[in-house]
Amino acid sequence: MTAEYAGPIIEMRHVDKHFGQLHVLKDINLTVEKGEVVVLIGPSGSGKSTLCRTINRLETIDSGEILFQGVKLPEEGKELAALRAEIGMVFQSFNLFAHKTILENVTMGPIEVLRKSKKEAEAEAMELLRRVGVAEQAAKVPAQLSGGQQQRVAIARSLAMHPKAMLFDEPTSALDPEMVGEVLDVMVELAKQGMTMVVVTHEMNFARRVANRVVFMADGQIVEQNTPDEFFDHPQSDRARDFLNSIKGH
Amino acid sequence: MGVAEVFTEFGDIYLQSVLSTWLMTAVCFAGGLTLGIIITVLRVSPIKPLRTVGDVYVQLFRNIPTVSLLVIFVYALPYLGATLPYRTCLLACVILIVSAFASENFMSGINAIGVGQIEAARSVGLSFTQIIRLVVIPQSLRTTVLPMTNLLIATLLTTAMGSQVPLTPPELTGMVNYVNSRSVAGISAFVVSAICYAGTSVVLGFLGNRLDKKVRILR
Repeated sequence: MTAEYAGPIIEMRHVDKHFGQLHVLKDINLTVEKGEVVVLIGPSGSGKSTLCRTINRLETIDSGEILFQGVKLPEEGKELAALRAEIGMVFQSFNLFAHKTILENVTMGPIEVLRKSKKEAEAEAMELLRRVGVAEQAAKVPAQLSGGQQQRVAIARSLAMHPKAMLFDEPTSALDPEMVGEVLDVMVELAKQGMTMVVVTHEMNFARRVANRVVFMADGQIVEQNTPDEFFDHPQSDRARDFLNSIKGH
Repeated sequence: MGVAEVFTEFGDIYLQSVLSTWLMTAVCFAGGLTLGIIITVLRVSPIKPLRTVGDVYVQLFRNIPTVSLLVIFVYALPYLGATLPYRTCLLACVILIVSAFASENFMSGINAIGVGQIEAARSVGLSFTQIIRLVVIPQSLRTTVLPMTNLLIATLLTTAMGSQVPLTPPELTGMVNYVNSRSVAGISAFVVSAICYAGTSVVLGFLGNRLDKKVRILR
């Protein structure tokens, strides 16, 4: 892709997907512009995680198309791997490589995919680990870190690839409450620096504070999308009102 | 003839047979492990026919008695124009069988990795072969040290099948025939071979445990 590409980073057009009988994504149309932070919310089973995972093709789709920087997602092979290298992904369960040190977790992609020298990759990895506040853990293995620390390492691992956009699939849902903040802080920082982000989350305060747009999903459909203030204060649909009421006051 | 006499009379050739057993065990285990890795890569590959080939291979060689396979190699292959040396036949049989069991061990190691790490590796942009090389094989190897130690000991004992074909020098079990056809050692020859097998197994088991503690992956 050329540097002057100015269109939307992510474009989903009429995307449909089934899991067997279950229609998990129904005619999804979604556009994410450069630098935008889009938060996907909705009841569990609404398809928001699946949607997020289709963007780097961890989930395939049945019909429709998904474009990344104006180019249709490759189906497999080298092209798909190259595309994935440009899209960061942060998972609910961190998914750090259990047999590698924290530092090696962050340098693996740059060394193996971007073909950087070990020295250069390590220097940059240490800088990223400092940025997310876990530099002093560099020599440990993932199991020796807290959940919040592991998730911050996972973010650093993604950042080391210099992604054009980042996907967050419920990044704080597996964390103890006292660790949610430290991960959200890193994400807020990223958003401020202009990272394009698609975030599936239940953290409504984060959505209100950081999102440019909130996308509300239910039953595999995008029910409504709006600025956070509009969405949270004046939801248009019954489904959204019900959902917001059900999570209020807990 | 007592155990001590067996040693004094046949000491030299016993030493050779111990070394022969050890060497065959090493060759068979290294070969079986290597072949086992290749078979396992087939079994987890994205291409269905390759997976089927891998699965059929494992079912085939896991379920054939070693002696039957050896009979096929020694008596059937010559009809197909391939007359192999006895030792080669034995090594090939044991390697095929060990590789099938090794692959099953690897599969259990792979199942312990969890799909999440594989998805993370894909998300970073690693290719299938890179994921296999950098994530799957190292983790699988490090998680399966104990079952692989079992397999190593089983390999040692399976080389006893070498007693069914003429080998020079004989391995430990063939050595019993060798001794008893040259003198009246009776049970003593068996005892000496048994001690060698047991001693080797105990040492291997101990080393396996040590290695496992060292490389086991914290989860």
